[in-house]
Amino acid sequence: MRVLDSMYEVRFHGRGGQGAVMAAQTLAEAAVLDGYHAQAFPYFGAERRGAPVKAFARIDKGRITLKSQIYHPDMLVLLDDTLPDIEPVAEGLKPEGAAVINTIMAPEEYDLGISVITTTVDATTIALEKLKAPIVNTSILGAMARAQDIVSIDSIVKAIQDKFGEKLGPRAAKMNSEAAREAYQSARTGRCKGDRPIVQKDQWLPDWDQIPIGVSLPTTQVGGVVVGPGSAWQNQVGTWRTSSPHYDIDKCIRCLRCWWSCPEGTIKRQEDDHMKFDYRYCKGCGICAQICPVDAIEMIRGVKTW
Amino acid sequence: MVTKVISADHAVAWGVRLGRVEVIPGFPITPQTLIMEQLSEFINDGEFDADFIPGESEHSVMSIAVGASAGGVRTFTATSSQGLALMHEMLYAPPQIRLPIVMVNVNRSLGAASGIWLEHNDSMPERESGWLQVYVEDNQEALDMVIQGFRIAEDERVMMPIMICLDGFVLSHTVEKVEVPEQAEVDRFLPKFKPMNMLDPADPRLINPLVPPEYAMEMRYQLDRAMDDSRIVIKEVDEAYARAFGRGYGGLFDTYQMEDAEFALLSLGTATTTARGVVDELRSKGKKAGLIKMRFMRPFPEKELLEATKDLKALGVFDRSVGFNSFGPVFTEVRGALRPLRLQITDHIAGLGGRDLTLEEMRDIFARIEESLSGRAERDVYWYGLRGRQR
Repeated sequence: MRVLDSMYEVRFHGRGGQGAVMAAQTLAEAAVLDGYHAQAFPYFGAERRGAPVKAFARIDKGRITLKSQIYHPDMLVLLDDTLPDIEPVAEGLKPEGAAVINTIMAPEEYDLGISVITTTVDATTIALEKLKAPIVNTSILGAMARAQDIVSIDSIVKAIQDKFGEKLGPRAAKMNSEAAREAYQSARTGRCKGDRPIVQKDQWLPDWDQIPIGVSLPTTQVGGVVVGPGSAWQNQVGTWRTSSPHYDIDKCIRCLRCWWSCPEGTIKRQEDDHMKFDYRYCKGCGICAQICPVDAIEMIRGVKTW
Repeated sequence: MVTKVISADHAVAWGVRLGRVEVIPGFPITPQTLIMEQLSEFINDGEFDADFIPGESEHSVMSIAVGASAGGVRTFTATSSQGLALMHEMLYAPPQIRLPIVMVNVNRSLGAASGIWLEHNDSMPERESGWLQVYVEDNQEALDMVIQGFRIAEDERVMMPIMICLDGFVLSHTVEKVEVPEQAEVDRFLPKFKPMNMLDPADPRLINPLVPPEYAMEMRYQLDRAMDDSRIVIKEVDEAYARAFGRGYGGLFDTYQMEDAEFALLSLGTATTTARGVVDELRSKGKKAGLIKMRFMRPFPEKELLEATKDLKALGVFDRSVGFNSFGPVFTEVRGALRPLRLQITDHIAGLGGRDLTLEEMRDIFARIEESLSGRAERDVYWYGLRGRQR
């Protein structure tokens, strides 16, 4: 292991429910086990399962004298490889820094928007196998152990056992440790592409005297963005899902259970009581597939439409 | 105009009636209850057309007030002490949403060591809630400030709620001569409420959504500037009121015998009345005593106070509540504002928990301030009527 000569900063980007916060905390705990000082913290927007979230970790030899978010990370961790499509995740990453990405792609195939040393791992497949759920944080931690030489895989596994064992019991500790070890083995390192432009969010940032008075907003067009009532249609949350419901109209018995169970109202009842799925807004929660009594709905990996 | 001999609570009810308030959510608490009782009677007798909505708690009362005001109607409520404390969470909504609710808080001590009697420790902690906050001295001022209050609060440069504080029992249950204006006069002075942001299904708008860090700080600054701008409106409205009704109160604060004063007391609430009498006594003995009748704690009249005290040598500040191991809140703010002046400032705490503030105590207060003219006050804080030696 290398001895740190300056502070090491890691920024995690994931989606609510993938465990980015736990990953950051576990990395900090592992760093402390390796004799470092460390801190980890989340930044939540309006919290929802599937919404983009950030988490941060700092590691240093001595006491950390900074409490703010991380704008120029040494390491960027993506728990979801679609995030660069919608968020400027690569912004500020040091050119000599590293990226760790959950994707089925090889490092050389993946376009992050900045070409850096990159470790990729199919953490979703590992998590689905080991944990039976797409919670990829422990797999990504295993890959992170491969991607840098500051925090060891043994300390990461020890930290996973401490953290997950304490919270979820010894069985969860074991499964998550296995996921980390497998990701450590299967991770591939190379250099990613930096061809695509980093997406810029069309954000409305008025001066204080330009904001409508009274925490109150009518439907307003600002630049390319609509704000206020009736603006939610712009949030096409369908990109958040990791698996998609496939509907077999021949098996469907028109019982309507999926229709009234969908928490997002994305299942549309048709004239003859068969269903249509609005994949722009389906978050892939899988409730419809669970509740269907005749297995007419099947969850398929990936953001798919039919 | 009709002359009546009524309590401050009833005077407030008259102000509300003359102000053509449309919705009054309420919950009883002594010593505020007389306001709600009188308003209920007005409505029951068909003399006053308003919706009285009994809430199941003060928290609900303020929530109802927010809804009513956002619905575009003139809204009033009143409370005291524990009731104000229970509203605390909801108090922070109307300033930032810019809803011009008028509320009377009848000052009463907030427990433990609780009672139903007068102390300012209920309203003083709410100075940072974003409400304009004014303290009145007598029953006439209580009535007049309800009417002035709506015109100040609903001015488009302000659009913020106002809390009118009056001393429990010493005013709320004391009858005095009150001139009740004619409805037509009040109608001329107080235009119909024109809401700034209104809940209207035909013109939907978001009101009070979750505000992320990208915007909340700018919204705080907006409110900070609006509070500052309200100083101008308060002065204008007081002058307009004086022209219309022949009674003005000096706006942010009033002064008495300050032109050539060497030492003075800054007081608020009913203590001002007794202090005025003591100033007269001292003046008759040739002593250059003066008085500042503090009215608005928010907006805090920092610049105006600096100007009013620039020739003084010693100033005492009266506090009817205490910051533990600190100073009274009025003292803390006044001393902060007057830092640029070479002025001996002392804090004078009396009348806590309903303890009567006597004429002798008020004379003592002025005596201590006069002593501090030497430039050396014995201490920063003096308690009056305290049994046992102050250490």
